[in-house]
Amino acid sequence: MMAIRELKVCLLGDTGVGKSSIVCRFVQDHFDHNISPTIGASFMTKTVPCGNELHKFLIWDTAGQERFHSLAPMYYRGSAAAVIVYDITKQDSFHTLKKWVKELKEHGPENIVMAIAGNKCDLSDIREVPMKDAKEYAESIGAIVVETSAKNAVNIEELFQGISRQIPPLDPHENGNNGAIKLGKQTSQTGGN
Amino acid sequence: MADNLPSEFDVVVIGTGLPESIIAAACARSGQRVLHVDSKNYYGGNWASFSFSGLLSWIKENQQNTGISDECEDWSKLILENEEVISLSKKDKTIQHVEDFCFGDQDSAENVEEAGALLKLPAFGASDVDGVAQESEKECTPMENTLAEVESQEPEKAAGTEPAGTVEGSDPEITTENESSQSTAVGESAPETGSAPSESSAQGPKKITYAQIVREGRRFNIDLVSKLLYSRGLLIDLLIKSNVSRYAEFKNATRILAFREGKVEQVPCSRADVFNSRQLTMVEKRMLMKFLTFCLDYEQHPEEYQDYENSTFAQFLSTRKLTPSLQHFILHSIAMVSETECSTLEGLQATKKFLQCLGRYGNTPFLFPLYGQGEIPQCFCRLCAVFGGIYCLRHSVQCLVVDKESGRCKAIVDHFGQRISANYFIVEDSYLSENTCTNVCYRQISRAVLITDQSVLNTDAEQQVSILTVPSEDVGKPAVCVIELCSSTMTCMKETYLVHLTCPSTKTAREDLEPVVQKLFNLNAEKETENEELEKPRVLWAVYFNMRDSSGVEKKSYSGLPSNVYVCSGPDSALGNDCAVKQAETIFHEMFPTEEFCPPAPNPEDIIYDEDEIAPEEAGLSNSTETKPESSTEESSSGGSTAVKKEDNEE
Repeated sequence: MMAIRELKVCLLGDTGVGKSSIVCRFVQDHFDHNISPTIGASFMTKTVPCGNELHKFLIWDTAGQERFHSLAPMYYRGSAAAVIVYDITKQDSFHTLKKWVKELKEHGPENIVMAIAGNKCDLSDIREVPMKDAKEYAESIGAIVVETSAKNAVNIEELFQGISRQIPPLDPHENGNNGAIKLGKQTSQTGGN
Repeated sequence: MADNLPSEFDVVVIGTGLPESIIAAACARSGQRVLHVDSKNYYGGNWASFSFSGLLSWIKENQQNTGISDECEDWSKLILENEEVISLSKKDKTIQHVEDFCFGDQDSAENVEEAGALLKLPAFGASDVDGVAQESEKECTPMENTLAEVESQEPEKAAGTEPAGTVEGSDPEITTENESSQSTAVGESAPETGSAPSESSAQGPKKITYAQIVREGRRFNIDLVSKLLYSRGLLIDLLIKSNVSRYAEFKNATRILAFREGKVEQVPCSRADVFNSRQLTMVEKRMLMKFLTFCLDYEQHPEEYQDYENSTFAQFLSTRKLTPSLQHFILHSIAMVSETECSTLEGLQATKKFLQCLGRYGNTPFLFPLYGQGEIPQCFCRLCAVFGGIYCLRHSVQCLVVDKESGRCKAIVDHFGQRISANYFIVEDSYLSENTCTNVCYRQISRAVLITDQSVLNTDAEQQVSILTVPSEDVGKPAVCVIELCSSTMTCMKETYLVHLTCPSTKTAREDLEPVVQKLFNLNAEKETENEELEKPRVLWAVYFNMRDSSGVEKKSYSGLPSNVYVCSGPDSALGNDCAVKQAETIFHEMFPTEEFCPPAPNPEDIIYDEDEIAPEEAGLSNSTETKPESSTEESSSGGSTAVKKEDNEE
């Protein structure tokens, strides 16, 4: 029996770079051109094997709160990893990527795994951000970096596999959540939907 | 990048405190288009929590009392002839008498800054590289320059308090000029990047210095209000019912304490506690169990108390077979009621409520949110955003626009001069102008926050969350509620405790609370004092302030508010959160009488995917864990990946 580890992953990046599309591709293997801003989804989950463990990713979307720069600190709490997304066809989005990293360093957990995704690599003929720039930057902050296409399902699995590999193995005498309580519905309200 | 804000909504909510956030979530959940704004650069208003540096900025802002008077766009041209305006307040006036004290050596902290920002601490970057196992350790230097540039491009945001979070608002450095009172040692650090600050002060593992507090400042999440959640209170019910609970985690309060005859003692309250108690005699154990058992169904035994219905609960207790220490425990630590004012029935009710909350999540009736109470409003805001609500911090509203004929509010005008229309308007009390509030009589809450070096009651277990009620020595004055948090609540750094003191104000916060602080703590950090003093926890840093209590104000006390403008109050002085939840539900139902209040949000696992079939082999997987937070039964992954597992496992 493999242990399931829940890993919170938060998505960061400018509005419109394809954060939701990446998750959508990863979780549902689906791409929608006019994806509506993620109504009703608190987070999406997908479980993947990693060594002797199963990693259950709980992937949090910004729910649009980044749009007017109003992301709440609770968004970062307890994240094992962050996927920071920019659009390879928009230099601006690569600039603000750096602000997101800074933000993450200030408010995110200390040992958070950072993964940079240069999305929309299917549009490389109108590319504005050279891969080299992204690589150099990622190295300088110790982040994983890949170019992805949520549309064509390029490197999406790889992105999350990369994250999985960077997650430190579970400390055996720490069993995860140091006694924090999650309020469940065990006491009442059986399921429903 | 500056997205344009739509100019039409169903509901505009001004203020991100707890009741406003619950209402915003409920409205979005029921399909309303919600705009939720706050003039501050952090969530929560007076319900917020701050990192240490964030709190210092907040203190400074509230001590300075300067109006913010930023130039606002002229809005007069936006107002039609048949309309009038209700101006909103430009400056939050709910915090007064802020006094902060540092009891440690501040000089050593002069050049110290909060760790965490990229520029500051090479160790941070390095450890990251380790964690990510990139081939070699890189120095941070190439980045520093880039970031410095990025920062300098945003000078306009430099002011204001830094919350524990918020995207690209102000920078985390506090730009204090070292002149005002005590708190300023943090200092504006010259860019002497990465010089590991004052190592000298880091010696002696037990003795935490002010410099360390500053450096570890982001480990603090210091709440402006101090509350606990009753495990069967309205807020817990709402969190569970709405599924907002999945955004937060909690710690149990582990101990109920009492202060009697100059000493702090643990109060046994659950059955197990009573039996295991070493301080109670066998006789006392029996007395206490008997009385508590009676309280659980006191309604069934009116003959036991009806002769005392006109007496105080304290008088009633003195007629029962209870020793003085048991009476003290029950009155102050279990019922937590006033000795002079609480009637027998109220006391019995309070005792019963306490007892009913035992055992649901632990040995005491209370839960505390990891990272502080300030998380809770943010959780509701997230639910609102998930259902399409739009969020704007640092967004002031200049005025409400009222239609003269109908008397209804039609729109707001924001600080950019944009007119935004809606059907309903929720405004937190502190946003209303003095004109609107002239007839309102506010109470005040006295608050103190201390950072200390040990617990008020040391036991084997270091990580304790304790609540202690200290009755006043002056008859008729309210008791002081003390909540002591340990570092595992993620509200303070290791080897410190965060202590919150709260009571309804009779004077300034310091006058109200300092006597209690002196009883419980050692304030002479540097000097050697008598043994007795040495046993007490040392206070490393403290702040006192008064906060307006706008709870319980009737709508009609505010002058001239249209019927479709609803007022939410700031935090009340009670320990629980029932007041905020009740207010939110009441206002929501006034607006939408037929809508359900915060029905469960769907589980992530249950959403969408009509065309994809859920891979059947996954059903078996998830049964294995017991610790699942939700009642979900299926993994949502659309298959594939999980079929592999067993083989992987072999090796």
